Amino acid sequence: MKNSVDENFELNEVQTLEGHTDRVWSLAWKPAPGIDGVPAVLASCSGDRTVRIWEQSPATGCFQCKAVLEDTHTRTVRSCAWSPSGKFLATSSFDATTAIWEDAGGDFSCVATLEGHENEVKSVSWNASGSLLATCGRDKSVWIWEVLPHNEFECVSVLQGHTQDVKMVQWHPSVNILISCSYDNSIKVWAEDGDSDDWHCVQTLNQSNSGHTSTVWALSFNASGDKMVTCSDDLTIKIWGCDIIRMQSGDGYAPWMHISTLSGYHDRTIFSIHWSREGIICSGAADDAIRFFTESKDDLVDGPSYKLIYKKEKAHEMDINAVQWSSMENNRLASASDDGTIKIWEFISAPGKKMHL
Amino acid sequence: MSERFSATLRIGDLNDYIAPSQGCVIKTENTGKSRMAPKAAQTEPVKISLKDCLACSGCITSAETVMLEKQSLDEFLLNLNKGKAVIFSLSPQSRASLAVHFGLSPLQVFQKLTTFLKSLGVKAIFDTSSSRDLTLIESCNEFVARYRESNSASEEKSKSALPMISSACPGWICYAEKTLGSYILPHISSVKSPQQTIGAAIKNHIYQELCIRPEDIYHVTVMPCYDKKLEAARNDFMFQLNSDAERITEVDSVLTTGEVLDLIKMKSIDFTTLEDSPVDKLLSNVDEEGNLYGVRGSSGGYADTLFRYASKMLFRKEIDGPLEYKTVRNADFRELTLEVEGKIVLRFALCYGFRNLRNIVTKIKSGKCEYHFLEIMACPSGCLNGGGQIKPNPGQSAKDLIQSLEATYSENVLVANPFENPGIKRLYNEWLGQPGSEKAKRHLHTEYHPVEKSISSQLQNW
Repeated sequence: MKNSVDENFELNEVQTLEGHTDRVWSLAWKPAPGIDGVPAVLASCSGDRTVRIWEQSPATGCFQCKAVLEDTHTRTVRSCAWSPSGKFLATSSFDATTAIWEDAGGDFSCVATLEGHENEVKSVSWNASGSLLATCGRDKSVWIWEVLPHNEFECVSVLQGHTQDVKMVQWHPSVNILISCSYDNSIKVWAEDGDSDDWHCVQTLNQSNSGHTSTVWALSFNASGDKMVTCSDDLTIKIWGCDIIRMQSGDGYAPWMHISTLSGYHDRTIFSIHWSREGIICSGAADDAIRFFTESKDDLVDGPSYKLIYKKEKAHEMDINAVQWSSMENNRLASASDDGTIKIWEFISAPGKKMHL
Repeated sequence: MSERFSATLRIGDLNDYIAPSQGCVIKTENTGKSRMAPKAAQTEPVKISLKDCLACSGCITSAETVMLEKQSLDEFLLNLNKGKAVIFSLSPQSRASLAVHFGLSPLQVFQKLTTFLKSLGVKAIFDTSSSRDLTLIESCNEFVARYRESNSASEEKSKSALPMISSACPGWICYAEKTLGSYILPHISSVKSPQQTIGAAIKNHIYQELCIRPEDIYHVTVMPCYDKKLEAARNDFMFQLNSDAERITEVDSVLTTGEVLDLIKMKSIDFTTLEDSPVDKLLSNVDEEGNLYGVRGSSGGYADTLFRYASKMLFRKEIDGPLEYKTVRNADFRELTLEVEGKIVLRFALCYGFRNLRNIVTKIKSGKCEYHFLEIMACPSGCLNGGGQIKPNPGQSAKDLIQSLEATYSENVLVANPFENPGIKRLYNEWLGQPGSEKAKRHLHTEYHPVEKSISSQLQNW
């Protein structure tokens, strides 16, 4: 079987991380501290109610489980996210809570528990400055929490625009704009009100404006934050763009516009999507495969288009729930699956050569 | 679930993927069958009452369908035609909403609504500001008792005595019972809301003066809030005059302000040109000169009134004039404090809207709540902004509307101490005795019930 679509690329399995005793739902690379010699750290969370912290050994380059965060969540831990400083890890669970863990040199302690969601919390995200946290869940709501001193978290808004389960929330990488995506097939954009101190929905992307026609599972921003990619149960990936200059200038809200739809590449639900700093979009799907896309330079007549550059069949034995590019190494990524494992991969262009894009 | 309910109530009821005809799992008494059966297998529709819905930890959202049947304009008109003695009780928040809508004063609205409703055959139109004074007096009494209990050195000192939390908001009560449960319920004031105290007063006492049997009265309240319909349907608010008598409901139906506007439109009435009828003074805060009166505070003035009373009774400090509220986190979270000898002895807060109530609940749960009293309302901006109020006119922002409602609410309404309300004094003299008496407890106080999570709702949550 030929895995590769384009002979110039190769995906090498570096390591399989075993330890979770149930499906692995989500992954988060600890933000790069920008200091040499600090090892890479990956957090994973699972249906086994635990969070595992994996650290790369400087000596061997291998990842080892350094900590298991357990006995806090009483049901599946669905999502995890590091604060921008890397000091805190937030974990959200089907037990309706979100836990905040403080990382004191590899010792983790739960310093706060955020309660309020009626049932399963599906996703958690920190904003760029680490001053706000967002959560969402099966109760159809999106919550925004303010991070206060002394590990206090105060709810600043409860947003009820979605009509179904909200699958994921993600803050924009530079502006305080929150995006959520849902089982109601829509993507919503939330912003703070100018004159009041609450938040509201400023845009809804759905079928009527070239949006998805089934559950939207995940989203990711490109490095500059002017584009966003979403993936869905409708077997497509969609690329959205906005006027980031206008957005950053604070000169009103700049709407997101549909740029491109990538269809025909997937035949099962796409659960996870992540955009690398170098512009490669990676997807993880229910067909156990990982795919890689880049913007096509060939044809710019109808605006940017995107092409599949590589597909790894049977990357896992079961559904892939998460794919995540490393925060430190440009060509490294991790994937997590229903098969209970996490895999570390290296995506490289042609054997022995570094990738050029 | 309908957006008409308060956001708080909506957040508390999220198992509702299923319309009432499909997935409701309540066991109905008459059939004894579980309603989990697939749709096709069902031969006869099973009726689920609003009370069934309220007692279930699953959805109450489907309650809306049930509720709209029982508490609607049609039902009211039907009862009117059946020859029931229909009595209305109008909330001051609804009065303000209609006043802003029609460009009238609150008193004019009261007078014209009296003309309008009486032309339809309604026997009397009362004002829940009067029964609110009853609620407030009982609450003052309860607060002082709780404060003393909390500060007593005795063994019986209860940790849940303070903070005391107001009980008038049904969205909050529903959320507390269904979602928060046992750690919060003991903090909630046992005093019934003004809607229920006026119902209790009419059907336990005032009926004698009206010479109507309680069972012949159909009592309708006009409220700023849909959630009030759920409150009226609570089992706790029904009683029997004697053991084999018919069950009597304190409030038979709740119409929202918007529904009353619909009624006015339905009858093709030019409301503004209706003549002004004298209002029914029996249970209305209207003085001899025809002026409206009541407490400060557009969400009922609970914090305001209890703060003044507690200052006076516990610390011998009489406060005249408006109180100084300090904005804490946002305009919907404001604080009142009393200092004695450099120490804060009373700390009260107004806490409106779901986000603020969530934060305060977290504080109570973790034992970090410093407040002695909390006036909690589920809606942002409080009761004037209830989901049953008349919507803004085209071009009017929600914010502008709230501002004009606030201004109109107190327009020509004299500020008065509930303890000096002659109508309320009379109720104590003739009927209840003292505040906090056995009789007052029986008629004006209630209980809250944590809703047990049923297996079916657990399964839905699985």
